[in-house]
Amino acid sequence: MARDKIYLEEEFPSPLLQLWHNFKETPVVMLGFGCFVFLTILALFSPLITPYASVENHLDFLLLPPAWHNDGNVSFLLGTDNLGRDMLSRLMHGTSLTFGLSFVVVLISLVIGVVIGSFSALTSGIKSSFLNHFLDVILSIPSLLLAIVIVAILGTGLNNTLWAIIMVLIPQFVHITRNAVTEEFRKDYVLASRLDGASSLRILYHSVFPNILEKLISQATLAQSSAILDIAALGFLGLGAQIPMAEWGAMLKNGIDLFYIAPWTVYLPGLAILFAVVATNLVGEGMRHALKVSKEA
Amino acid sequence: MESILARQVKTNMLTFTLRRLNLFIFTMFLLTLLSFGLSFLFPGEQLMNISGQVNATPEQLIILGEQYQTQSNIFQQYFAYVNMLFHGDLGISMASQLSISTEIMSFLPATIELTLVALFIAMLFGIPIGFIAAINHRKVTDNIILSISMIGYSIPVFWLGLLAILVFSIQLGWLPSAGQISLLFEIEHVTGIQFIDILLSNSPYKWQAFQDASAHIFLPACVIALAPATIFVRLARTAMMEVLESQYIRTAKAKGLSFGQIIYNHAIRNAMVHVIRDVGLQFANLVTIAMVTEVIFSWPGIGRWLIESIYQRDHTAIQGGLLALSAFIFIVHIVTDFIYAALNPLARESRHGT
Amino acid sequence: MNLLDIRNLSIELKSATNPILAVDRVSLTMKEGEVRGLVGESGSGKSLLAQAIVGVLDDKWQVDADRFHWRGNDLMRLSLDERKAIISKDVAMIFQEPMACLDPTMTIEEQLTEAVDCDQLSGFFWQKNQQRKENAISLLHKVGIKQHKVCLKKYPHQLNEALCQRIMIAMALAKRPILLIADEPTAAMESTNQGQIFRLLASLNQLKNMSILLISHDLENVTHWTNTITVMYSGQFVEAGTTKQIFEQPFHPYTRALIDSSPKANMSLPAKSRLMALPGSIPILQHLPIGCRLGPRCPRAQQECVIAPKVQNYHGHQFSCHFSLKGSY
Repeated sequence: MARDKIYLEEEFPSPLLQLWHNFKETPVVMLGFGCFVFLTILALFSPLITPYASVENHLDFLLLPPAWHNDGNVSFLLGTDNLGRDMLSRLMHGTSLTFGLSFVVVLISLVIGVVIGSFSALTSGIKSSFLNHFLDVILSIPSLLLAIVIVAILGTGLNNTLWAIIMVLIPQFVHITRNAVTEEFRKDYVLASRLDGASSLRILYHSVFPNILEKLISQATLAQSSAILDIAALGFLGLGAQIPMAEWGAMLKNGIDLFYIAPWTVYLPGLAILFAVVATNLVGEGMRHALKVSKEA
Repeated sequence: MESILARQVKTNMLTFTLRRLNLFIFTMFLLTLLSFGLSFLFPGEQLMNISGQVNATPEQLIILGEQYQTQSNIFQQYFAYVNMLFHGDLGISMASQLSISTEIMSFLPATIELTLVALFIAMLFGIPIGFIAAINHRKVTDNIILSISMIGYSIPVFWLGLLAILVFSIQLGWLPSAGQISLLFEIEHVTGIQFIDILLSNSPYKWQAFQDASAHIFLPACVIALAPATIFVRLARTAMMEVLESQYIRTAKAKGLSFGQIIYNHAIRNAMVHVIRDVGLQFANLVTIAMVTEVIFSWPGIGRWLIESIYQRDHTAIQGGLLALSAFIFIVHIVTDFIYAALNPLARESRHGT
Repeated sequence: MNLLDIRNLSIELKSATNPILAVDRVSLTMKEGEVRGLVGESGSGKSLLAQAIVGVLDDKWQVDADRFHWRGNDLMRLSLDERKAIISKDVAMIFQEPMACLDPTMTIEEQLTEAVDCDQLSGFFWQKNQQRKENAISLLHKVGIKQHKVCLKKYPHQLNEALCQRIMIAMALAKRPILLIADEPTAAMESTNQGQIFRLLASLNQLKNMSILLISHDLENVTHWTNTITVMYSGQFVEAGTTKQIFEQPFHPYTRALIDSSPKANMSLPAKSRLMALPGSIPILQHLPIGCRLGPRCPRAQQECVIAPKVQNYHGHQFSCHFSLKGSY
């Protein structure tokens, strides 16, 4: 007589755990993740860790090169700028500005974008198609251009920059949420929930969101790397954070004038931006790769 | 039988063109609406924002009011604005008091020249490297290409521009770092596109001018081209990998075609079709990068003009510049859509959505 | 002499953890002018076997056999490229979804002329082009497409599946193969079109004496059009013999179950009774049973079935089972 169950019990971890497991496998991605965590800790605790305050002027030590130079001084590890401010402290403080704020910006626009996007996916008709076309047009305008225009309306300054970037990132999240939710709503398990009598909101919350979470996370990492670059670009153009704030883009702008005599004021902030963006991109790539692998298996 | 088929192909192309035209009109409508709305959103008086006349006398103000229909309701104001646009009048710049449309027309060709050269460089390097990466998938070459392209994608463009100037202009002295052409050459400004102007002028030093202009455009174009090139590498790689997995490539292998034949005759054609579609989408990104690069390299383009207008709080110029730039990006997008439809017969069929 | 003589072919999936034997010691022989059916459920490894014969498997599969002879030549000693070169001259293959097998950006004419064999042409290159076009038209006529002018200018997505399959067969015929392997050629078509394709294959077999290896999961269709049948289950060899033998006196319990589950066999059941079918489903690659892989589902399985049975031969009717149904006939 044939027996039914002779195969070994196989334990299937939950989708999120599986994602984490796949994510852990690539060593380069874990390195990027480590850097990302390092930057986050730095952003959170920088005021406590920095050796000097970021705006403190050391008038005796103007334009000191980094410590490994002949003229350098170990107490100012990465040198100072033209007003005697310690580069290391400014860079660390800049982490919480450029990197930390980008994280906050992405979070806010994620929430708003998801809400608008699911609302737009649920409605249909002329209103929604108008919204769709409007969204497509906004998406075709490059993000930095739109941010610059919004800053021109609101005025310069770090706060306005943040609002501008939030407003620029929201359409991206709306677009992706709308597409993902519409796609999920076509699937059969949503139909089954509906037949059970669930309202749209409940389907959205219980069934659809856990499934589109992965796409949202991958888009969020993309948005974060673009947000870091945008905050820095606006700072560089003088439209964002102003001196003496220690934002990396503004530091770069400050360093252009000192380019020939003190090139480290240009190298170091740029390297910091590069480091942060590479770490974010590695995490994002790893996430997308893990998603792809877990879908295939 | 054949004429029916020919007619079918023609109607497909026609409906495709009509739908694209429809989209273009709708987008221009939205863009002009946006630009019109900006005049209200900017700080300062709306009439001054929209016309640019900062020092107008009261009589001139009344005339302006007539032109822009400030007394009527908002729809008429909008129509008056669009009417002015059709006549080519974008107002005058608040800072320089010159007509904005002439300023845009003098700066836009330089940007067109720079972005097109950068796009060409990005495609020339990005797409073949992406194909090579896909063909060598899971081998060392693939990983190296992916790592380099990730770093290239993460470099902030303004930093890269500064470094490029430092290394190539100052330390090595190979390439110039500012402007479109050396001031020694007196080339008349006819179209604004330097290469065409050189060909049209009657200077005796045409070849040297040409070389000089190429040297000037090389560095900024390469700086702009880096980030889009890395995106093209990734796009081309994904497209080629998808194509290599597809059923008809397997069939071609089973048919006994050689590897080279498969790649050149079938794979590249199909992969290019996917890539061209995304090239149009990347152009907006490229223009943004070009704007920042123009500031660094003092390139007389519309990006630098727009950013200077923002520093000077020249609202009329910002409106006009935004409109012109977005329209330019969108036109390039539509042109690449056409090229895509010409290459890929499937795209001509009717599709839902845009 | 046998055209194709394969003995104990195994295909292994090389993986870091534990290698999986997707096809486990299958033997296959084909004579000239024979139409052989290769029957099995999806997941039984029949497509893998066909792809291994033609040589289009990925690097991750490793092919090994005791004997792999093609027209008397021993192919196991040659490298993969040399094997492919010899086989691709005489063996052609058509696949399951014909529209997906054609390049969507090229017209039919371009693809057909590409398939035409260069060695059969002569002269300068413009003469060769002309000859290529004429060859393409004659190929289309051979598969029964009379209005070649209309067909040649179209793109694959403008035709239907049956037409695309005929074009695939035309491209396969361009090489003048001796053996045509048809991997589920009619799976994506309606039943009227299926008949067309099978009639075409049968006429090719009769007129040109071309051998055909017809892979299918549908036993009914296969019994109508083939001379001999080989049955596979989960990568293992089950039974082989003439169609008459298999259909009337199946020795293996699996073949018996296959025949019993067809609608014709169930006509005589009383109303509202259960249809005859084997319980369970085919095992997945990660959990293959040891020994005879039908073991968990087989109604006649006993302890000995954990050892893989050897192939037994009875008047040309081969089967591999410890407890076959031979005694009951």
